Amino acid sequence: MTTRLSLNAISKAYGKADNQMVVLHDISFSLNAGEFLAIEGPSGSGKSTLLNICGLIDHATHGDYYLNGAAVSQLNSSERCACRRREIGFIFQRHQLIPAMTVYDNIAYPLQLNNVKAKQIKHDVAQLLTAMGLEHRCNHLPYQLSGGERQRVGIARALIKRPQLVVADEPSASLDHRHAQAGLQLMRELNQTYGASFLIASHDPLVINHCDRKLTLLDGYLVDPA
Amino acid sequence: MNWPLIALRNILRDGTRVISTLLIIATGLTALLVGSGFMLSTYDSLQEITMRTEGHLIVIDDTPEPLLGGSHQQLSLSNWQTIRESLWDDDRVLRVLPRARFEGVVSKGNRSAVFFGSGVDPKEEFRVHGPFLRTTGVLDPWLTSSQRAEVMLGAQLARTLDATSGDLLTLRTVRSNGESAEAVVRLAGLYQNGTPAIDNHTLMVALSTSSALMGSDNVSQLSIYLDKKEESAALQRSLQETIDGVIVQSWQQRATLYHKVKSLYDRIFGVMAIIILTVVFLAITNIISLAIYQRRSEIATLSALGTRPPQIYANFILEALIISIAAAMLGMLLAYAISHAINLAEIMMPAPRVRPRDTPFLSTSHGLTIW
Repeated sequence: MTTRLSLNAISKAYGKADNQMVVLHDISFSLNAGEFLAIEGPSGSGKSTLLNICGLIDHATHGDYYLNGAAVSQLNSSERCACRRREIGFIFQRHQLIPAMTVYDNIAYPLQLNNVKAKQIKHDVAQLLTAMGLEHRCNHLPYQLSGGERQRVGIARALIKRPQLVVADEPSASLDHRHAQAGLQLMRELNQTYGASFLIASHDPLVINHCDRKLTLLDGYLVDPA
Repeated sequence: MNWPLIALRNILRDGTRVISTLLIIATGLTALLVGSGFMLSTYDSLQEITMRTEGHLIVIDDTPEPLLGGSHQQLSLSNWQTIRESLWDDDRVLRVLPRARFEGVVSKGNRSAVFFGSGVDPKEEFRVHGPFLRTTGVLDPWLTSSQRAEVMLGAQLARTLDATSGDLLTLRTVRSNGESAEAVVRLAGLYQNGTPAIDNHTLMVALSTSSALMGSDNVSQLSIYLDKKEESAALQRSLQETIDGVIVQSWQQRATLYHKVKSLYDRIFGVMAIIILTVVFLAITNIISLAIYQRRSEIATLSALGTRPPQIYANFILEALIISIAAAMLGMLLAYAISHAINLAEIMMPAPRVRPRDTPFLSTSHGLTIW
């Protein structure tokens, strides 16, 4: 099976040498193509930091990181930005939709960033809106949507460009049980349709049980590596 | 993606702060426009005064130094009638007026005062000054009476002499050859040019009177009035090339007061403009900085999605641009309304020393000139 993501002895520390706080210690794991991997752990265990490193939002202090076999830990900020734009989709804890953009624009935005032709964007967004049952909401602004609808838009935005890796941080945190389950179901369907690998940080048992595999983080240490 | 619409939505999210910023910028711009309108209106008035007083072009003899006394006394332009006739056929020229400058002492009874006099063409002289030279107590006909030589006095000079229309005055002067000369003239009326210091020392007589008094048919200068002031540079060049022994000056070369006032106002309004523009800049910077601060998580999201930093900045710049354009339009509208209101209410600028009477505070069109 193809390895989508591979972390080798990743550490992350904040602050100067004499006052350093290490939040991740020697983290090593791999994520296969199409795999659904949960990272669980209590608040403050380093889940979000690890996700930020995996999503190329943050740097590791030490260690190597490979995405699709390519070393990405040493990329400069411009290259990291390009890599995020092309290959990584994000699902945020609180949806993080752009308030001034309509549902359509929010979903279409990643495609626009990748210079996809307008016709193709229109087609892809329409298809995904239908798949998510949001076609009647396409011209609405985020504040006009319910929590569940916002989360679905957030998922659609992460998947529209068919990324190879989707990084999701507490995707069920702002949802009730019914909407959380529906959201997970949707991610799983899209995972099967598009073959994206999912890396999901959560301490929600519903989410963790939904995943193929789980890793546990405790005080910055990987407790149960696969 | 309709970025202007998205920028507009972002602006409207922060309505109250945007409105206050908009008002700050619009007020600053209004102040700048109304101030500029006043400044340009003042420049226009001073230009007009200079052009009406001196003419668009001035022909003087090229003798380097005055013959006697100050330059005021110089009567060295001898061929002025030939020059005048040669200009009559030029369509660009409206009027050519000779002026003979002389000086001396004017007396009425036991009261005397030093004067600076001008021998003029009475029919045309007061016409070209228009509203910038106000006459009072004028006898009819004046300066052109064949019975007796007449004089028009500056209002302040008449007050000094306690003279009123119809009084007889004595003009005493020294001719260029050193002889003293005098003439008894009847006071035909008074004039005010708005500068008491000038009104206190000047008088005007008909050219024939000054010629008889000074014993010379020469004049000090020929003032040329044009149909369009824009043609003065071209005509100045051509006259300078075709007429020998003269210097042709433009009104700008004689406009000492205009240049001084312009220089002063330019500096004052320049400083004002810098202050206002700084306030405007700070207001825009402030609202954009706050927007950036308030939308940190949105910026982080855009960045996570792979938006390049310049694209993120561009969104905020677009918002600043929209606010600026809206404020500019509001400011222009306010300036236009205020200048119209000032003109409709007939609010007048108090007459400064250079003006004969109160003049409009500004003209509406000048309020928008810089745009």
